[in-house]
Amino acid sequence: MTAAEQPSTRKPPPKHHGTRRLGMWVLGWQRFRRNKTGLLGLVLVGIVFLVALFCPLLAPYDPNDQSAMLEFRSKAPPSWKNPLGTDRMGYDVASRVIYGAPTALVVGLGSMAVAAVIGIILGGFSGYIGGMADEFLMRFTEFFLVVPIFIVILVMVRIFGIVVVGTPLEEIPYLNLSTIILILGVFGWPPIARMARAEFLRLKEMEFVEAARCIGVGRAGIIFRHILPNALPSLIVIIALGIGGSILMEAMISFLGFGDPKAISWGQLLSFNYEFLKIAPWASIAPGMAIFLTVLGFNLLADGLTDAFNPRLKE
Amino acid sequence: MQDDLIRIEKMVKFYPVMRRGIFRSKQTGVIRAVDNVTFSIRRGETLGLVGESGCGKTTTARALLYLTAPTSGRAHFQGTDIIEVFERGAKEEILRIRRRLQYVFQDPYLSLNPRWSIAETVLEPFRVHRHLPENQWDDRLMELLELVGLEYYHAWRYPHEFSGGQRQRVGIARALAVEPRFLICDEPVSSLDVSVRAQILNLLIELQEKLGLTYLYISHDLSSVRFISDRVAVMYLGKIVEIAAVDELFARPLHHYTYALLTAIPIPEPDADRGHSVLKGEVPSAVNPPPGCRFHPRCEAALPQCREMPVELAPAGDEHLVACHNPR
Amino acid sequence: MTAIAPHNDQLLAVKKLRVHFFTGAGVVQAVDGVDFAVSPRETLGLVGESGSGKTISSLALLRLIPRPGKIIGGEIIFKHEDLIAKREEEMIKIRGKNIAMIFQNPAYSLNPIYSIGDQLGEILTWHEKLSRQAANERVAELLQLVGITDPFSRLRQFPHELSGGMKQRVCIARALLCSPPLVLADEPTTNLDVTIQAQILDLLQELKERFHMSMILVTHDMGVVARMADRITVMYAGRICETATARTIFENPRHPYTQALLATMPRVDHSYSDGKTRRLPVIPGRIPNLIEPPSGCRFHPRCPASDDECARILPELLSLEEGHWVSCIKAG
Repeated sequence: MTAAEQPSTRKPPPKHHGTRRLGMWVLGWQRFRRNKTGLLGLVLVGIVFLVALFCPLLAPYDPNDQSAMLEFRSKAPPSWKNPLGTDRMGYDVASRVIYGAPTALVVGLGSMAVAAVIGIILGGFSGYIGGMADEFLMRFTEFFLVVPIFIVILVMVRIFGIVVVGTPLEEIPYLNLSTIILILGVFGWPPIARMARAEFLRLKEMEFVEAARCIGVGRAGIIFRHILPNALPSLIVIIALGIGGSILMEAMISFLGFGDPKAISWGQLLSFNYEFLKIAPWASIAPGMAIFLTVLGFNLLADGLTDAFNPRLKE
Repeated sequence: MQDDLIRIEKMVKFYPVMRRGIFRSKQTGVIRAVDNVTFSIRRGETLGLVGESGCGKTTTARALLYLTAPTSGRAHFQGTDIIEVFERGAKEEILRIRRRLQYVFQDPYLSLNPRWSIAETVLEPFRVHRHLPENQWDDRLMELLELVGLEYYHAWRYPHEFSGGQRQRVGIARALAVEPRFLICDEPVSSLDVSVRAQILNLLIELQEKLGLTYLYISHDLSSVRFISDRVAVMYLGKIVEIAAVDELFARPLHHYTYALLTAIPIPEPDADRGHSVLKGEVPSAVNPPPGCRFHPRCEAALPQCREMPVELAPAGDEHLVACHNPR
Repeated sequence: MTAIAPHNDQLLAVKKLRVHFFTGAGVVQAVDGVDFAVSPRETLGLVGESGSGKTISSLALLRLIPRPGKIIGGEIIFKHEDLIAKREEEMIKIRGKNIAMIFQNPAYSLNPIYSIGDQLGEILTWHEKLSRQAANERVAELLQLVGITDPFSRLRQFPHELSGGMKQRVCIARALLCSPPLVLADEPTTNLDVTIQAQILDLLQELKERFHMSMILVTHDMGVVARMADRITVMYAGRICETATARTIFENPRHPYTQALLATMPRVDHSYSDGKTRRLPVIPGRIPNLIEPPSGCRFHPRCPASDDECARILPELLSLEEGHWVSCIKAG
């Protein structure tokens, strides 16, 4: 590896003849760049990330600032003072929506990180080993797919919320949110596992993997150096889709009032304001749009990545 | 024979035919992909292994290198039973065998890891075997690329920047990196364009002369087999039906299948004999191969005993083996 | 340019055909000024390697160029009408009825969810307005003709129940349903084993004579055209190198590419083990990239006889003798 990547200085440096040294990723990026919808997705996701990173700088008010109440300016329409208006409790809508971005991303990335680890390990194992282990793991995966996850999550969040009362666990900040993330991850892995299995099954039969076995490369080398890197593009696509899905799921949970009361989440904002939809529509529309654009962004990004990494579909 | 480099004895590879259940699959039959195949390859020669798709020629080669575990049978390399080593040997022993036997794959578009530069691909054997100190890798890489007709600057490029012929050269360089004695070439030119096939065939012959390699050349294309082989083995439905020296086989095929195969090839001459005999029917399934001689349902010269009595390879002239009750 | 066929009563004449593919990486000049013609009852072999434009040229006859490709120039005169000027609705009536196609991969060219009888019968009810019953009988008749035994029971079978050779027979029957005057066969035997290939080639030859059809046989295999074709057109990198009778192509090829191609192939009927060093004559280099094709003659970078002029001048197809056309400035 090292010798290959760093040509030794004793040799004349490689002549490139005007050609770039292109890896698969660079090539994928070149194709991705030509894809307008994919780029739009990347921009949307990028904006959400920036907002999440710099929310204290961007938000005009503290998210818990209810001072507008004192001026009898609750449910005020958008103005210079409150760019997206205020809601029924005098919170600044813009600030609340901005502070919802980190929550959404933590939920999306966190749950998909959990799901990816479980999914890739189980799916990869299943695809690589095959046989009885594969049969069993796939039945197990199907079992998870048929469970009505949403109801299970609601029940588990509620039960967990009751169980921890009075235990030291109660002290953990954002305990409820962490639970949601964990459950979303634990129930979100089957699509990733199926994709990982399909990719491992496909790649382990590829001639370059056989060639590696011929040379005498061990099992770990084949999995981690040959199969996994080639499976990653497809997995990244499905993970990007999953992030959007998790954000939406968390919004629904919060909308139904099962979310973390301490965390500011877009679903919760909707739930909090939808009864005043006629009087202060801005307070519902703003978080709704935030959810919509974020989920759309991740879906478009996934679409663009599919096209970039599976050029066969296009040619 | 004293000069055999490889001897395959009674190689068998069966694949189970499964029917999927809810929790477990049931075996409903068996595909007899390779059925009791015995032959040897002499030091320094090229043995051509020909046959139509599904005849088991690739499975034989894969079983020889233990890319798929043979159901039974032995394979000797310079007197060592390599199947035994692959099954039970220590890791160092397996690596020692792997170094001596290498494989060149059919499709140069699939046989290189698309994410690796050529240098990474060709140097992988060095990382695995560590047969050279690391400071010599670069020199060796340069030698190898030169040997297969590539330039040094190609090393930092990626497979998609190469044509099929160049990729096949990379595949050959990777196989040669471990200094093998024996190379299995599995249809190395059949996915290449006609105008580059000759380049790769010439390269294989050049390397054989320079490095004293022994080849098992697998192909369905009899013209390249005729060009490159010293001896040829013909396979049909998992069995070898005939082995002979190349000119002997092409001039005097004894098995009726070999004859049909040879006459089926269109010759690039406008007035070549168009009154050839066309073989009727298709290759039967390997799940339930015909009893007796497997070729008898399609054979014009089938005798009653061909239907029942199995045939094994038997000498029929100077170094000419044929498995037929009623040879031509 | 005058037409390139031995007779004036051409069934099909392709003139200056140009097909370009507008891809993100650039314009691929896949077919760039191609002329050929087919007479009634004649088999024309269209020979070339990958990227020679042989398949694209034949698809262009049916106006079936996949996106992002486009016919950007030329004429395709079929039965005295220019197919390029026709509207898509008119083309639909020509495909299958007047020009039929046999594809390379029979496994992909049959729809897996319809039975053989349904998908072949549909063509007859559509093009010939036959009744269901009459269509079935005609299909069974053709299946019999292409060597499929027990055709009536085959009507109810699905493609996956047939072997590769059988599927190709069904595809051939499908192409012949409306007795088209011209059949395009694109590498019809490349995916088949040699013994099956021999069966299919014999079948095609027999049917061509029985139906008085013309055929364009697209292939890379010189052996196949030698056996099947009356005349041969050799293509390289989107242009035509040479057109002549099959005998002339093999016995007196004049274009350096044709010569090199014939020399570079190993042959089953030659012995190579005579003790001398075994080497095949090679064509150096690789097939050019058609986004930036070589200047002048497209074969000049690989041609043993090329000089500075070849790099400058794009050679035209010139007649050397009756029916023998070569595009090489050195061949005159």
